[in-house]
Amino acid sequence: MPESALTLLKFVFLALVYLFLFFVVRVVVRELRAPVLAPAGPGGPNPRRVEAPRAFAVLQVVAPEARVGERVEITDEITVGRGGGCALVLVDDHLASRVHARVFRRGKDLLVEDLESSNGTFVNGRRIDRTTRLARGDRIQFGQTVCDVQR
Amino acid sequence: MVVAPSPVVSDATADAPSPTRIRVPRRRATTRRRRTELLLGVFALVTTTFGYALVQLADAPDLPPDLWAILAGVIGLFVVAHLAVRWLAPDADPTLLPLAAFLTGFGFLVVARLDEDLARVQAVWAAVGVVAFVVTLAVVRRIRTLERYRYTFLLLGVLALVLPLFPGLGAEINGARLWVRLGPLNFQPGEAAKVLLVIFFAAYLVDKREMLSTGTRWVGRVALPDPKYLGPLLLAWGASLLIMVRQKDLGSSLLFFAVFAAMLYIATDRGSYLLIGFGLFAGGAVIAYQLFDHVQTRVSTWIDPWPVAQDEGFQLVQSMFAFGSGGFAGAGLGLGNPTTIPNVATDFVFSAVGEELGLVGGIAVVAVVLLLCGSGYRIAVQAARPFPKLFAAGLTTIIGVQTFVIIGGVTRVIPLTGVTLPFVSYGGSSLVANFVILALLLRISDDNARVRVAGPAGAATSGAPPMTTSPPSATAPPARPR
Repeated sequence: MPESALTLLKFVFLALVYLFLFFVVRVVVRELRAPVLAPAGPGGPNPRRVEAPRAFAVLQVVAPEARVGERVEITDEITVGRGGGCALVLVDDHLASRVHARVFRRGKDLLVEDLESSNGTFVNGRRIDRTTRLARGDRIQFGQTVCDVQR
Repeated sequence: MVVAPSPVVSDATADAPSPTRIRVPRRRATTRRRRTELLLGVFALVTTTFGYALVQLADAPDLPPDLWAILAGVIGLFVVAHLAVRWLAPDADPTLLPLAAFLTGFGFLVVARLDEDLARVQAVWAAVGVVAFVVTLAVVRRIRTLERYRYTFLLLGVLALVLPLFPGLGAEINGARLWVRLGPLNFQPGEAAKVLLVIFFAAYLVDKREMLSTGTRWVGRVALPDPKYLGPLLLAWGASLLIMVRQKDLGSSLLFFAVFAAMLYIATDRGSYLLIGFGLFAGGAVIAYQLFDHVQTRVSTWIDPWPVAQDEGFQLVQSMFAFGSGGFAGAGLGLGNPTTIPNVATDFVFSAVGEELGLVGGIAVVAVVLLLCGSGYRIAVQAARPFPKLFAAGLTTIIGVQTFVIIGGVTRVIPLTGVTLPFVSYGGSSLVANFVILALLLRISDDNARVRVAGPAGAATSGAPPMTTSPPSATAPPARPR
């Protein structure tokens, strides 16, 4: 192959390398701009749009049979457990702890945290070992009580 | 302190009814990250394979017959790693893996240009590296597990350092006794020691950083921390340096020193540690200079290589000729003459890049390493808990300092000490170790994406100044006006 063609191809190669660098930098910028934290402060990103606090999400009980259809609204934070102070009281659920878990919002995310319950909290069948993000349609289980997430 | 895991009563868990499983759609940001990673990686590897074709075209009129096999091979390896990330760390940073893939592919093309046989071995090592990458991601499911076994890792790290000194096991290659020979396999356990000791240092510093950042003994105007807490550090530090000096591996000594000083500084936010570290280093360097002939030779060849251009200075002089003849845009892949430099595929790989791709190519390599380190430090900054934060910073510092030491060495900015250029140089142990570092960084990054949402739920977030940059507590939701 003639050397001139090779030189040309060398520049093509270098151009591709720099194109790769450019793409990576663009991704880095995107990663940096991504919201690391939920927007703090009152009213979220736009302080002028003040709304009455409305339910951010709803937990709907799907088991046991006796309580199917019960709903608990979540505005900021609720606790779930056998204890009387909980927003969702798990009466007669002997596998649930007194204060079993809390479900709360952080920015746009709905989260569930197991409060060191004896038998654990499950999200979609998997026992959680840390605070876990919930999406619509997720199924949470505390003791023998199962709820659907609606938002 | 690490909180002991809450004991799980097994029979009680068995009693729990098995809940129904539902498929949940992946989050959009997650899938976008992984798609970006795949696209960037494939682009990087197509580019480096194109470079490989150029190398072959310089000799032969036709494209090499194995070109498509090589392209399929490298992309296949990358896809394996990518799928492992999808499966095991789906929320991890999307830039790390493609950047490492680029450096590995680029290293393969440069090594292939220098020595076909070495390139074949390097390709096998890259495959081993990817396996190590997947295994690390699969085994280390939670980074805090590593924190718990800190002293085990210290033991293993020191063991790895002294392993080559055992007679019958160790082997001396190129005047440095850092190799262990097991049947047909030669490897450098020191590469593993780097990672192991950084785990220990991160865990130890997180534990003791409050004691280390508040000085109790005054020396002039500088408050020094209690020697009780500083002692173990100095001991580990000194021991690793001593071992490496005995093995005549100056590059690694320098690397350890810099990484530990940086971690001490990051953990305590006290600039005085940088000064102390620099002072210790200067003292150590002077002592080493007086005691060891090979250190004196290194320094004198660095200051003036020309009188010994045919002996000790040969490598360095040839390296400078390589950069000189490379000029701005280089001689072209396969068109230079970099094979005159001894050890060009390992320590002097950057000189080969400089000769054939010039300043433009050299800057590109440095830029890729910088972006890699940038992503690593970003992961450290985003980590909410102190141990992953310090660990990520330490791992990234290994790659950064190593790159500086070897590129600085071959360009005669600092005295030459042999370490590998991460991912690029020929060298199996180093490549595998770097893939493990990569996997650990991705693991921390994936944890960040979850922990970031969860907030400082861990036990260890309270404390010293630089670590308290964690997000606001989950228990204080933003107040909403009514």
